[in-house]
Amino acid sequence: MVTGVRTATNTVRRRMPIDLRLLILTQWLSPAYPLGAFAFSHGLEAACADGQVHDSRGLEAWLRSVLETGSGWGDAVWIAVAARGERPLTEVEALAEAFAASSERLRETRQQGAAFARITSDIWTVELQACVLPVALGEAARVLSLDVEAVIALYLQGLVTNLVAAGQRLMPLGQTAAQAIVAGLSPLCAEIAARAVLCDETDVYSNAYASDIAAMRHEIMESRVFQS
Amino acid sequence: MTAAAQPRAMGALMLSSKARGTVSAIDGFRTQGCMKALFPRRRDGVEAIVINTSGGLTGGDRLSLHGTAGAGSRLVLTTQAAERAYRSASGWARVETRLEAATGARFDWLPQELILFEGARLQRMLRADLAADARMLLVEPVIFGRHAMGEVLRDVGFRDRIEIWRGGAPLYFDALRMEGDLQAQMTRAAVGGGAGAMACIVYVGPEAEGLLRPLRALLPETGGASLVRPDVLVARVLACDGYALRQTLLPALDRLCEDRTGEGLPISWRL
Repeated sequence: MVTGVRTATNTVRRRMPIDLRLLILTQWLSPAYPLGAFAFSHGLEAACADGQVHDSRGLEAWLRSVLETGSGWGDAVWIAVAARGERPLTEVEALAEAFAASSERLRETRQQGAAFARITSDIWTVELQACVLPVALGEAARVLSLDVEAVIALYLQGLVTNLVAAGQRLMPLGQTAAQAIVAGLSPLCAEIAARAVLCDETDVYSNAYASDIAAMRHEIMESRVFQS
Repeated sequence: MTAAAQPRAMGALMLSSKARGTVSAIDGFRTQGCMKALFPRRRDGVEAIVINTSGGLTGGDRLSLHGTAGAGSRLVLTTQAAERAYRSASGWARVETRLEAATGARFDWLPQELILFEGARLQRMLRADLAADARMLLVEPVIFGRHAMGEVLRDVGFRDRIEIWRGGAPLYFDALRMEGDLQAQMTRAAVGGGAGAMACIVYVGPEAEGLLRPLRALLPETGGASLVRPDVLVARVLACDGYALRQTLLPALDRLCEDRTGEGLPISWRL
């Protein structure tokens, strides 16, 4: 967190337009931006039902793995690849979709990406096609010349915030404990952003096998609150 | 006895099948170095058991395999036994696999387990190119140290990448990259949850949707399956060790292997 935000703030003092760009970014990645993220648990609901996650320590550890070696890392790299604009967007999207671990994961990122593209295109001077969220976000960041490292860090923090909010509905987890998890994982979000911004599609991987399996097992849950 | 003086294993194998009437026959076959193959009889396709005669993988080894299921034929590839990735004195072992399935063909890629040993450095790349109507069954089982033998992985490098393309477009990709203390990493709940073995399974074909339910019924609580595309079925399984993983894989792969002739997994899996 520290690196990305400090860079932006320093620049703000010199030039006004950056200030606006930072505000655009926080608007896009705020939970209030209507992407419908609250409907998805990224497999966490199944992990809670199977007893793999049941308290705040367990949730923080689970999310740390998702960020470091799972879909969080993959999404970070896809934002960077799309923002670089070196390959046609349809190619980047096809590659990102091929890495989807399960059908619900694919729906989760496609639905949010479609909502992001629709709303963002209506408001700003950017024409986005419906595609998976990290790719849509990377493309929008490229068109509006936003700081990609900051985009990634805020995206990852948004992912954590959303999944912690999901956790609050799935287990006894108070507001303070929930925010402590977000704060505890924020340095990791910044650190991953700094690494991912230099990476390309050959650096995408997922070692978060149990998280990916939980996403698959969510499909066979009999009663569920979330769509993934 | 220096590390540099160790001989390095090199091996290559090329094999293709073709349709002859209603059966499949070997079209081309060539091997080099430490790669060999056996051809047990199989009614519904060409089956080959690939053998790495070097006895295992270590730093500097280079293996490559290129298999092609020609139009309308079926090619089933497996290995004679588990492949072992041993401690590397220097450098990485590299394994490259290219698989192709032409129109109306079916490719079954069914290697037995990869066993990682302490100190291993292994990078594998598998690329499959499928025609629009080709079928494929793929499995990649990995054992993270044989716990029963007291083997614990504290310093390993393992990079594995699977790319399945269809008609030149990406269809299903899977990559993992584990470095350092794999034992600690596999303990993490979202990674391995304490498992010592893992496998991924992919089935591509119009039967995929119909196979989802029967496959799920064969998976333990530590496994899951999903239809990522209308005709692409993927599954991933964690197990405490290689033995437990086999208990899941044998019936699951049997179910995914069989077609109208009723032949299941290659016989080498049962030996």
